[in-house]
Amino acid sequence: MAKEIDPRLLSQFAAARTSRRRFIGGSAAAAGALALGGSFLAACGSDDKPSSTTSAAPDDGSPASGTLRISNWPLYMADGFVAAFQTASGITVDYKEDFNDNEEWFAKVKEPLSRKQDIGADLAVPTTFMATRLHTLGWLSDISDAGWSNKGNLRPDLLEASVDPGRKFSAPYMSGLVGLAYNKAATGRDIKTIDDMWDPAFKGKVSMFSDAQDGLGMIMLSQGGSVENPTTESVQKAIDVVKEQKDKGQIRRFTGNDYADDLAAGNVAIAQAYSGDVVQLQADNPDLQFVVPESGATTFVDTMVIPYTTQNQKAAEAWINYVYDRANYAKLIAFVQYVPVLSDMTEELNKIDPGLASNPLINPSKATLDKSKGWAALTDEQTQEYNTLYAAVTGE
Amino acid sequence: MAGVASSSRQRSKIAPYLMILPALVYLAVFFVVPFFSLARTSLSSSGGSVFMPTLTFSWDFGNYLDAFTRFPDQITRSFGYALTATVVCLLLAYPLAYVIAFKAGRYKNLILGLVILPFFVTFLIRTLAWKTILADDGFVVSALGSIGLLPSEGRLLSTSWAVIGGLIYNWIIFMILPLYVSLEKIDPRLLEASKDLYSSNTRSFRKVILPLSMPGVLAGSLLVFIPAAGDFINADYLGSTQTTMIGNVIQQQFLVVKDYPAAAALSLALMAVILAGVLMYTRALGTEDLV
Repeated sequence: MAKEIDPRLLSQFAAARTSRRRFIGGSAAAAGALALGGSFLAACGSDDKPSSTTSAAPDDGSPASGTLRISNWPLYMADGFVAAFQTASGITVDYKEDFNDNEEWFAKVKEPLSRKQDIGADLAVPTTFMATRLHTLGWLSDISDAGWSNKGNLRPDLLEASVDPGRKFSAPYMSGLVGLAYNKAATGRDIKTIDDMWDPAFKGKVSMFSDAQDGLGMIMLSQGGSVENPTTESVQKAIDVVKEQKDKGQIRRFTGNDYADDLAAGNVAIAQAYSGDVVQLQADNPDLQFVVPESGATTFVDTMVIPYTTQNQKAAEAWINYVYDRANYAKLIAFVQYVPVLSDMTEELNKIDPGLASNPLINPSKATLDKSKGWAALTDEQTQEYNTLYAAVTGE
Repeated sequence: MAGVASSSRQRSKIAPYLMILPALVYLAVFFVVPFFSLARTSLSSSGGSVFMPTLTFSWDFGNYLDAFTRFPDQITRSFGYALTATVVCLLLAYPLAYVIAFKAGRYKNLILGLVILPFFVTFLIRTLAWKTILADDGFVVSALGSIGLLPSEGRLLSTSWAVIGGLIYNWIIFMILPLYVSLEKIDPRLLEASKDLYSSNTRSFRKVILPLSMPGVLAGSLLVFIPAAGDFINADYLGSTQTTMIGNVIQQQFLVVKDYPAAAALSLALMAVILAGVLMYTRALGTEDLV
């Protein structure tokens, strides 16, 4: 089905939408995402729906057949991609966009997973820290190298990442930057540093992430702290600044992933933002800019994992392998506009749209990457401690 | 013969209990059991692994003390907002319900339908729509700004006014409907009688209509105040970092911090404070029956 549609057209279509991967996250808004996400999905006229399956795979015990249930973030998929996979593999895919927020998802699945009960998904796409937590709890299946022959296409830095050396249990899906987005029409000047966020001219026009890692990371970097080796002191130091600015009325909201609405509507001039979102929003509002603060930004990697309750391990591995084909993956990037996790994507991206590979947010410069740091794999105690400390500011 | 009569009498004694049985079962399963589970959690202390904590029941009343000492601002804010919203709802809804009940004539059903119509749209969509209406660059803000009526923040969205406005908008129907029902029940002949006795319009409103509509006022106030005090969606979408309510704290304690005992204690404390307030209110209004 995908072959009938010009991928380039599709990528423009994707860019024209104001909807994003994390359309509404904010832990309050699971229902909101369902309500709104649903209408956007309907508007997409996507042929990814499981009902459009071509044929049920023969259940004859051959490798990778039957049904694969995928749980992914909203709008993190290209039109036609699922259908193409079904045609290529003979696997029926039940694709759900019901992953809205890492912590909320965890709160939902932890009881059944702790009792080794099915969670209705054979593959999910949590962010790295959540994948690590699940692995530590012993709730993930390893991904076999036999079913994942395209593993070699993974970027070397991700393959040997300290959180999962050699990628035994988590397959990176997308990566991106947590930086600052600003509306140049509203700020009237370029934004370059964290201190620009605290400019009294933008009082009540700044939004920050309520997630501890995404919200605090860049602040810590600006204070000379490290996210690769965080300490309670460095986290607390960042929180103190946030508290001071909050009490002054500088920070308008602590957002989930709904910051983009305020940014696009002009309610917020500077927002902590995810890079891919901004690439998509720029199509509607050229005044929007994404910047990595001079002192640095943090990166995130969302990963495909297989819960140990999966009912179709082989199909999940077949899906991961299909995603890891560069030509297939380029179609995903054209839609979601995040930073590819596969290496050497330029050629495939340029086949879809010559401008795609040169977009600095899809293909960040070395200078940007040098300034971007990934959070260390935190222990459960650290995560809990930082969440609690930060919640004391965001919740009061 | 005597046996048949007594068994049918017995059956008629059992019948009422059989009829309330489904409601009792429902309450037991969906209220009593969760309530005790919540109460138990609120008195537990958590230990073991961070993300799969084991809750040990330990009569830990410290959770309750924490609830009040850690979040006094949110508690007072919640009740302040809910009280303001309830009073404004009452002031707005009473004249409307009065007109529908006494003056609307054949348009009565039409107006009632129009009152209910917006509530066919999801709660969330309606709340999000206010974000668009009240946006900083929107026409409401610029119109109010030009006549100098903006709050001190220089905006409407992300202020306490927007949160209270959202609460009023979302809950007002629960004020209008009970008021309408209680006003509609008033026998018009009572009004005619008060006129016959030379009562002025104001006096017959004060002496006849208002007292007879008190059950509606009471029911409406409770139906607005109770959910408004525990609401967190309006504060989340229409509020700012300065307008968090106790509902936001509970939600965060449950889903982000995952401190279940603290969250449970907060929920029960909220319930207790509301219950105390409601008891005082019903006593002050002196209404025996709620409807």
